[in-house]
Amino acid sequence: MTAPGHHHTLEIRNLSVRAGGTEILSGINADIRCGEVTALVGPNGAGKTTLLLAILGLVPYTGEIRFCRAAEHGEGAPRIGYVPQRLDFDRNTPMTVLDFFALSSQRYPVIFGHSARSRRSARESLTRVDADHLVSRPLGKLSGGELQRILLALALRDNPDILLLDEPVSGVDLSGEALFCDFLGKIHSETRFSLLLVSHDLSVVGRHADRVICLNRRIICQGATTEMLTPENLEAMYGSGAHLVSHGPANGRGHLHAPPRPDQEEEKGG
Amino acid sequence: MKRAIVAMLCVAPAAAAVGVPLVHFRMAFFSDAIGHSAFTGVAIGVLLGVHPLLTMVAFGLFVAWAITLVKGRTELSPDTVIGVFFSTVIALGIAVISAQKGLTRNLQAYLYGDLLAVSETELLWMAALLFGVAAYLFLAFNRIMLIGVHEGFAKSMGVPVRALEISFALVVALVVTTAIRAVGILLVTALLVVPAASARNIARGAVSAFWGAVAIAVASGLSGIAASYYLDTATGATVVLFAAAFFAVTAMLKGILRG
Repeated sequence: MTAPGHHHTLEIRNLSVRAGGTEILSGINADIRCGEVTALVGPNGAGKTTLLLAILGLVPYTGEIRFCRAAEHGEGAPRIGYVPQRLDFDRNTPMTVLDFFALSSQRYPVIFGHSARSRRSARESLTRVDADHLVSRPLGKLSGGELQRILLALALRDNPDILLLDEPVSGVDLSGEALFCDFLGKIHSETRFSLLLVSHDLSVVGRHADRVICLNRRIICQGATTEMLTPENLEAMYGSGAHLVSHGPANGRGHLHAPPRPDQEEEKGG
Repeated sequence: MKRAIVAMLCVAPAAAAVGVPLVHFRMAFFSDAIGHSAFTGVAIGVLLGVHPLLTMVAFGLFVAWAITLVKGRTELSPDTVIGVFFSTVIALGIAVISAQKGLTRNLQAYLYGDLLAVSETELLWMAALLFGVAAYLFLAFNRIMLIGVHEGFAKSMGVPVRALEISFALVVALVVTTAIRAVGILLVTALLVVPAASARNIARGAVSAFWGAVAIAVASGLSGIAASYYLDTATGATVVLFAAAFFAVTAMLKGILRG
């Protein structure tokens, strides 16, 4: 296990993103530490998704984004896993879950069928998130929670160095959320990738994240979760009257890997 | 007649094969804009004294590249961008044509298609297109479909999103401008979209969706040629009507299968 603070998976230096004449993000400096869970919080339109897209290289930016690979992960470029907030595809698309997996695991087109290797790899990945029963279902007919599990399975298949999760629990009911966080916690404790998590739900952040980056077009504050989610910081981000509301079990199930934090309870009493 | 059949056997499967990812991308309107850019392409060719087919393909490629470029750099929705290009290329084409008396006669073959007048050179070009499309899709099909599900997700999987988007737009432009010889500017989008849409009605996975679309395109192509020969109707229109009939039947089957 890597000692926190010794390695950064991702270093962001003076990052700015402009679109249509307005600055969406300005002067962002942040580090994502190896093996830790970092939560990215902020109000709607704060630029959270934009930051993820910049990390993926899908929006033009100024400044620098550096990926660093921990020695134990081997040589080569770091792998990024990404689970988008929602898929904007045509729900009638004739594509099964297996087709979807095979798109990225075999060289020849899926229209010629699936290779034995991609079948096996799809089964393995799906079993990991307890979703192997979905393998031949059409992608467009899955529920929000099922789809997120499929995306998570696929994002984790190639053992990423860093996993970007955009609003992992939006549009999923509370039990689905607990399930999703449970899987994530189990897998994270096995493979220790760095996790950057965008979330609106501060109770999820409080339970799962080691560190928090508060964003509203610029960095409001960043640091250990317990120090960051203070009434002052929340007010700076969301405006006055913001406070934490806990709607779920605050301990036990759902923890990603962090040890229990006794001071967490106090902060949640909103 | 034999030449028309061979031409159809090249163009119909190529159009349907490209149509599958096209429909997945919701780019039907894009292919329509490329089709209508042929107005201007043909007019430029006649104006310059070059074979209209060459300028039509070249101009189609240019418009495809321009739309893709502008789409990536603006916050306007894709159909707004395409809508602007669509009307601009038609207006430009009509302006050029109206200034050149005697050009309208030349344009008939492009408006409605003229499969029976396909030359040997054009036939070779169509065959090359079919092979080119097959090779392109063999290399790029999986990654293009992945982009269609989610761009960012595809990118995280190591897919070169922008390069593939542009190359796909150019391949669509090549297919559309070539297929215009078979079914004409007005109906060319149908050749790409209708077989893929029909196959989607009944397909569950990627395999049946793709081969279903190709089979429906070939079947409509051949029956369209045969029927137009006996009924003395325009070949392009008859082919598209057969494809539309396939769509109606598969849509009904879908209702029965799921009802």
